[in-house]
Amino acid sequence: MGIAAGAAVAAILVVLDLGLYGLFDVDYALRILPALSRGLTATLGLVVIVIPLGFLLGFAFGWGRTSHNGVLRWFSTSYVEFFRSMPPIVLIVFTYLITLALLAGNERFDATELAPAVSIVALAAHSGAYQAEIVRAGILSVPESQREAAEAIGMTREQIMYNVTLPQMFRVSLPALGNEFASVIKDTSLLATVSILELTFIGVNLVSTLIQRGGNPDLVFVVWIEIAALYFVLTFAVSRILHTVERRYRVPGLEAPQL
Amino acid sequence: MIAAKGVHKWFGTLHVLKGVDLTVEKGDVLVIVGPSGSGKSTLLRCLNLLVIPDEGDILIDGVKVNDPKVRPEWVRQQVGMVFQSFNLFTHLTALENVVIGLRKVKRMPRADAERIALRELERVGLADKAEAYPAQLSGGQQQRVAIARALALNPKAVLFDEPTSALDPESIREVLGVMMKLADEGMTMVVVTHEMGFAKTVADEVLFMADGQILERGTPGELFAHPRTDRARAFVSQVLG
Repeated sequence: MGIAAGAAVAAILVVLDLGLYGLFDVDYALRILPALSRGLTATLGLVVIVIPLGFLLGFAFGWGRTSHNGVLRWFSTSYVEFFRSMPPIVLIVFTYLITLALLAGNERFDATELAPAVSIVALAAHSGAYQAEIVRAGILSVPESQREAAEAIGMTREQIMYNVTLPQMFRVSLPALGNEFASVIKDTSLLATVSILELTFIGVNLVSTLIQRGGNPDLVFVVWIEIAALYFVLTFAVSRILHTVERRYRVPGLEAPQL
Repeated sequence: MIAAKGVHKWFGTLHVLKGVDLTVEKGDVLVIVGPSGSGKSTLLRCLNLLVIPDEGDILIDGVKVNDPKVRPEWVRQQVGMVFQSFNLFTHLTALENVVIGLRKVKRMPRADAERIALRELERVGLADKAEAYPAQLSGGQQQRVAIARALALNPKAVLFDEPTSALDPESIREVLGVMMKLADEGMTMVVVTHEMGFAKTVADEVLFMADGQILERGTPGELFAHPRTDRARAFVSQVLG
């Protein structure tokens, strides 16, 4: 079903292009594919850093927001409110500029290499704020009576967390986490602003080269359609993985009602 | 075996338990009755330290257990508990619900834990439902699994907090049947319930609680036939019709 829908969307894009701008230039599309594939690999690399790092931050601060410890709760809430309120592009550019400024005149580190790397962490921190709320909602969804039952058989707080709260909140949180993962995959394109050569940046470069060399302006559409298709493939793959995980951990009798 | 001495509990400014004393001997069944809000559930939760008393002592085999030197987790292993709304772990099968305490709390190998868990499920008549999840079971079946979960840890006593209040008549019979069998086998039990039939048949002693105090205590025959206080008289005539 989902795969058919994906193919249909891609087909519509291509048909639109054919209809509006004449024949789809297959030759050009294939010529730029290796460059865009390198971009896709780079984007995938960013995703593999940003999603797990964002998840760790989200988990830590989401848990922190439900803590009995007031200081921890205050700190976690501040984190969420701050990073959620900043546009990710502002976080990325600011982090980049601040790192450059801090490393000015420092001989040991190459600022132009380190600053973009720190900006990746900034994006993860932004995603972490969103994931923290997802984690918090998951924790709140586990009734207090479940924890009380675990206490009553003599489980320790740590055992209750690992064996009762975590597995239950994890199931509740999966759909929302899938949303956030899909969102952050596309947000990695914002890292182009700090010269990280990912999919969007390489696409923009291809367009510039095309225009500079006086190529057919219609080919710009070919580039962007290809970028769109590659983001779709990546996001769709992640969504399928999460879907499989969700099915794997489904609890019989607790499925959502079929309306 | 289990005793409470002068137990007080406040929730904020609300004085929920006002100096409660009770003793349960080994193999005895103690039933606690009384109007809702009288502190019965809180008292029960004090006995396994799910609620920590603000004043007074909880004693198990004569040893004070509400003491910084005693781990509350250890106390809860000695005293099982069955809840009004069952509270089975929703993400685990019936078998795993019973296994988890043996594995995590008693640190038993999986094979041994499963053997004991199956035996306990058999004891409550649910061996054939071992692989079912709580959401696939009726209320009565869930409560029997919950009883098996408490029994698996081989507790010295089991506390029942209105175990049949959330059940339909058919399930009530099932669950009371299991509880009577347990009482016959000599299990020490403290039961908060409105099931007067059960209290009359099984209880060695009945306590009547109101406003955080025990107003009357006696055998079921004495307390139900000849209540001495007005509150108890009103309550008895109400529940016995």
